[in-house]
Amino acid sequence: MKKEGRKKLKDEDLKPVEKEDVVNGKEALSGSEDDGVESPVVSDDDYGSFSEGDDSSRNSDSESESGSEQSEFSEDEDDENPINEGEGDLSDGVDDHSEGDQSASEDSREVVDESDSSEDEVGPRNTIGDVPLEWYKEEEHIGYDVAGKKIKKKERLDKLDSFLARTDDSNSWRKITDDIEDEEVELTKEETKLIRRLLKGHAPHADFDPHAPYVDWFSWDGAKHPLSNAPEPKRRFIPSKWESKKVVKYIRAIRKGLITFDKPKEQPRFYNLWGDESSSNEKGHGLSYIPAPKTKLPGHDESYNPSLEYIPTQEEISGYQLMFEEDRPKFIPKRFTSLRSVPAYEKSVRETFDRCLDLYLCPRARKKRINIDPESLKPKLPSRKDLKPYPTTCYLEYKGHKGPVSSICTDTSGQYIASGSHDGSVRIWEVESGRCIKIWELGEPVKHVAWNPLPELPILAVSMGHDVFLLNTGLEKEEDKMISDLLHVETPTSPDESETAVSVSWSQYDKYDGIRITHFKSVSSVEWHRKGDYFSTNVRVYDLVKKKFIKKLEAGVREISSVSIHPGGDNVIVGSKDGKLCWFDMDLSSKPYKVLRSHNKDITNVAFHRNYPLFASCSDDSTAYVFHGMVYSDLNQNPLIVPLEILHGHRDTNGRGVLDCKFHPRQPWLFTAGADSVIKLFCH
Amino acid sequence: MPKHYRPPGKKKEGNAARYITRSQAVKYLQVSLSVFRRLCIFKGVFPRDPKKKVKGNHHTYYHMKDILFLKHEPLLDKFREMRAYEKKVKKAMSKKNKDLAERLLTRKPSYTLDMLIRERYPKFIDALRDLDDGLTMVHLFAALPAIERENIQAERIHNCRGLSLEWQAYVSRTHKLRKAFISVKGIYYQAEVEGQKITWLTPHALQQVMPQDVDYKIMLTFLEFYETLLGFVNLRLYNSINLKYPPILDPRLKALAADLYALTRYVDAKDKKDGGNHEESELRLAQLQDQLPANEPGALMHLVENTADENEDDEETTACKTLFKDITFFLSREVPRESLLFVITAFGGVVSWEGDGAPFEESNQSINYQIVDRPTQSHRFISRDYIQPQWVFDCINARVILPTEEYMVGKVLPPHLSPFVDNEAEGYVPEYAETIKRLQAAARKEILPMPGGEQDDLDNAQNLLAEGIIDRAKAKEAAERKRKMEVFQAQYHEELKAELEGKTDTSTPTTPKESKKKKKKEKNVDDEEEEIEDDGNLKQFADDNDNMSKVAMSRKKRRLYEAMKISQERKKASVDTLKTRKKNIQKSKKTTSD
Repeated sequence: MKKEGRKKLKDEDLKPVEKEDVVNGKEALSGSEDDGVESPVVSDDDYGSFSEGDDSSRNSDSESESGSEQSEFSEDEDDENPINEGEGDLSDGVDDHSEGDQSASEDSREVVDESDSSEDEVGPRNTIGDVPLEWYKEEEHIGYDVAGKKIKKKERLDKLDSFLARTDDSNSWRKITDDIEDEEVELTKEETKLIRRLLKGHAPHADFDPHAPYVDWFSWDGAKHPLSNAPEPKRRFIPSKWESKKVVKYIRAIRKGLITFDKPKEQPRFYNLWGDESSSNEKGHGLSYIPAPKTKLPGHDESYNPSLEYIPTQEEISGYQLMFEEDRPKFIPKRFTSLRSVPAYEKSVRETFDRCLDLYLCPRARKKRINIDPESLKPKLPSRKDLKPYPTTCYLEYKGHKGPVSSICTDTSGQYIASGSHDGSVRIWEVESGRCIKIWELGEPVKHVAWNPLPELPILAVSMGHDVFLLNTGLEKEEDKMISDLLHVETPTSPDESETAVSVSWSQYDKYDGIRITHFKSVSSVEWHRKGDYFSTNVRVYDLVKKKFIKKLEAGVREISSVSIHPGGDNVIVGSKDGKLCWFDMDLSSKPYKVLRSHNKDITNVAFHRNYPLFASCSDDSTAYVFHGMVYSDLNQNPLIVPLEILHGHRDTNGRGVLDCKFHPRQPWLFTAGADSVIKLFCH
Repeated sequence: MPKHYRPPGKKKEGNAARYITRSQAVKYLQVSLSVFRRLCIFKGVFPRDPKKKVKGNHHTYYHMKDILFLKHEPLLDKFREMRAYEKKVKKAMSKKNKDLAERLLTRKPSYTLDMLIRERYPKFIDALRDLDDGLTMVHLFAALPAIERENIQAERIHNCRGLSLEWQAYVSRTHKLRKAFISVKGIYYQAEVEGQKITWLTPHALQQVMPQDVDYKIMLTFLEFYETLLGFVNLRLYNSINLKYPPILDPRLKALAADLYALTRYVDAKDKKDGGNHEESELRLAQLQDQLPANEPGALMHLVENTADENEDDEETTACKTLFKDITFFLSREVPRESLLFVITAFGGVVSWEGDGAPFEESNQSINYQIVDRPTQSHRFISRDYIQPQWVFDCINARVILPTEEYMVGKVLPPHLSPFVDNEAEGYVPEYAETIKRLQAAARKEILPMPGGEQDDLDNAQNLLAEGIIDRAKAKEAAERKRKMEVFQAQYHEELKAELEGKTDTSTPTTPKESKKKKKKEKNVDDEEEEIEDDGNLKQFADDNDNMSKVAMSRKKRRLYEAMKISQERKKASVDTLKTRKKNIQKSKKTTSD
């Protein structure tokens, strides 16, 4: 219906007034022209009040408007006929009306009865206008039609009948009485819907969007000047004086206590802070909280009446005074015979205070405390029984030297042992009997003795001071001649000597028919040439054949005192003066494979056994260690090192213990030379 | 280039960025040191040790995250506000603007620590775990005098006393007390609440010594936190046994509530009127029941008790509850009433005392034990035992009713032993501990042989242990000794055997020296006991063994091993001194008796 109305309005462009549009729409809604402006009125009473309250001028306006509308409608009617025709009866009715003035009242009434919607076009039948209906109360007519004829009142049903009619008719609730026209109007479904929407305060039409995006009809772009030239009023940016006055007034009143406020309600000091435990799964903030360690719980000694043994004696208490402040016991147990004699503890506040300080000043850290048997830290070593034989006990002692025995050496057969001492003598002993076979008195402290490794030439090299002596031992009778010949030659072609310097002079030493080789510097050790390819000094490995430096071994110890090479050639042990023994696996790395901290004092010498997987170290702490050092031919398997035995026996003389150790070439026996001028043989 | 050189424009990294010193932190937070300290205490922030101390060893280092944690604490703003407020007040006062000053004084900014507690202890159990220090502190302050100079106010001391009494009331009501120990420092109590062992120390109820060189401000800061914490914990605990907290006292009492002593007296008086025989703390609980709709407090008490019974299925609690069941005590004037009231009721006993408000008189016939602490007792009732207070403590620690002969009036008491020591772990068991053990076993109806004939036979150490005559430590010791001996013997036998074999192998002419040696050896074989007695040799052998295994250890392990050995040695040394002292005492006793 509204659509229809709008369409028409669009057609008549003469009146582009929005208000009109609204009016028209409303008219269409309510079915009566007059109440189109304000709220829709459903009941008769409302209507009455409305009409009474309204002022007459507005009424006249609307009347005139409607009048003009009507005229226009009628003008356009012809053009729009085709459109209206589709609406059937309704439009027919309209046609009837507009066509002529001859229309009878009955006809029109019929038409109206059929559909009140046609009123839009028809206009009201009754022309009395907005006058109180009371005026016609007594009359038989209700007003006049367009032609000025009286419109007769219809017969009214009495109350009972109307009630019955209403109960019978299910649509009675839709029906309202139009007093002016004196007819019953039945609201259509759409109209009731509209009314409902209006009652709810919504826009009357369902398809009306109250939140439609705002379309700014004013084109701001082209505007060069403000709409208004008036300057910004001051009140826009100055705080209100009146308000501030009011505030001051209140403030004064509050200060003076004229205005008092309600005191805030007292909350209970404590409440269930943790609430339901299950809900509190929040994590702590910040770093992980390390709880402070709890205070130590009191022991028996803190009792007011401890056992007697917990109370220190008077001497002990006086002994505490001699202790360092830190070592002194903090608490001295006391005994009270009864509870009533216990005094107040004078340090209780102090101790609590100290605890407080600890709590907020001590750095805290989590530390792992292992609670294990210390014995379990010891490595699992293979049983020593399985690694036998190895020297364990002192079997023989070779006594005879008068000074510390500095060096010993066994001959290749293992039958004899040579020893050099600080008393300037060199002795040869028979190993198994312990008999001294030969003695040379050389007059100077002997530094080193060494047998010739060739068994057929039993020559002994002795170094002392600047000299090296090559001595014929005379042990091999058949070869004796040859040896003496050899030693007699005064040419430097005879035995190779590894440490021959350039400046060496050879001379015949007549006293013991040997050779004397004099160096300019003191000789510290002599070594007979072996067939090995390598010769290693402290930490440098040289290729002797190519005369090239190969490798440097980093022992990481302070001062190296001795070196020994495994018969296999790839492993070296190094003894140092800080009591550490390093095992190098030359194939593995230049760092020690294992460092054994065995001795408390300097290691004087280390030695490998030629045949057995044994090695030994001797030290100034007058002990010698024997180790099992198995080197496997499988390169993937690391050498196995097991400490086997600690050999005691030598006495400490002038801070020196065992000066040299050598293995027997065949048997697992160890010779040790001590500073106490004794040589010992340890057997298995 | 110096070691810690950082090129310009490069950010700090590692420890230098992660840790800052305390003075840096104070500067960073823009607060004074005292405020920083307060914050640290409240928030539970503590220094942490960086691996590398960039600024030097003598600084305290805080983790940067901790400091940021403090920085975002609302309390920090509050402290600043308070400082500003104090300045305002001071200014108003100095300008003689009394109006303003007074007005300001009514609007003092205040703060609460509630959320901090929630933050530090997200769960209730966490709070319980950390309660030890708080309880000790609160109990200590409850015994301190109010000192105006140190800003220790009477109000706070009353509050502390209230809190401590509330805590004790809860513990004794629910029978959660496990151990108590009278030490020189005070009385230690240990309770087990929700599976947490909580130990606290109460000072002896005497005038406390207040040292001058203690910063009471720090202690009061801690106390502030602990008071709040304990309040919340108490509330939770009281709620858990369906009681209201804080205990709402009778309106008639409220006038007296300012003075707690008056209050307790009133409570006592009320107790007397009721004719009930509850102790003071229980009465406080009974007071709470008045608030509930029912009119008869006694009936309600039983109700509460019954519900409590249903909840606890803990064996130990029932054991504790029934220890002094149906036993009535009477405390003399001179014994520490408060602690005994607490302890005895916690173990289910009924107590009265000499003085005002006692539930029953000394002449009551139902009294089983009268606890006295005086040299002689003049008037005695035949029906009861007169014992010294230590008996109660020894009984609860042993969980048996001990015979009273040794604890009678005027007797020299047996030693009071700490219940917190694991004797066997310590390695030394005092004589009286063994006696108590026997008594406990007897109470369990196990008949054990008397000790005394402590056999030296080491072979049946195991048997002895099984019989229970000697404890584990001794058995272990004996077994150890035995094992060592065996090892040495075995070793020695092997050596001998090896030697014999070697001799047959070599079979070379022997030097006289050697033969002599051999002879000596053979002689030794004959009396190997002598050999074993040879202490030096054995020691050498043990040393060698020790050294040998040490040689093969890595440096780290060796150090650890050595450290452990040192601690073991120390422990052993202390045990040894105890043993020697005991020996000496016994010796001197013998000589005096002779």
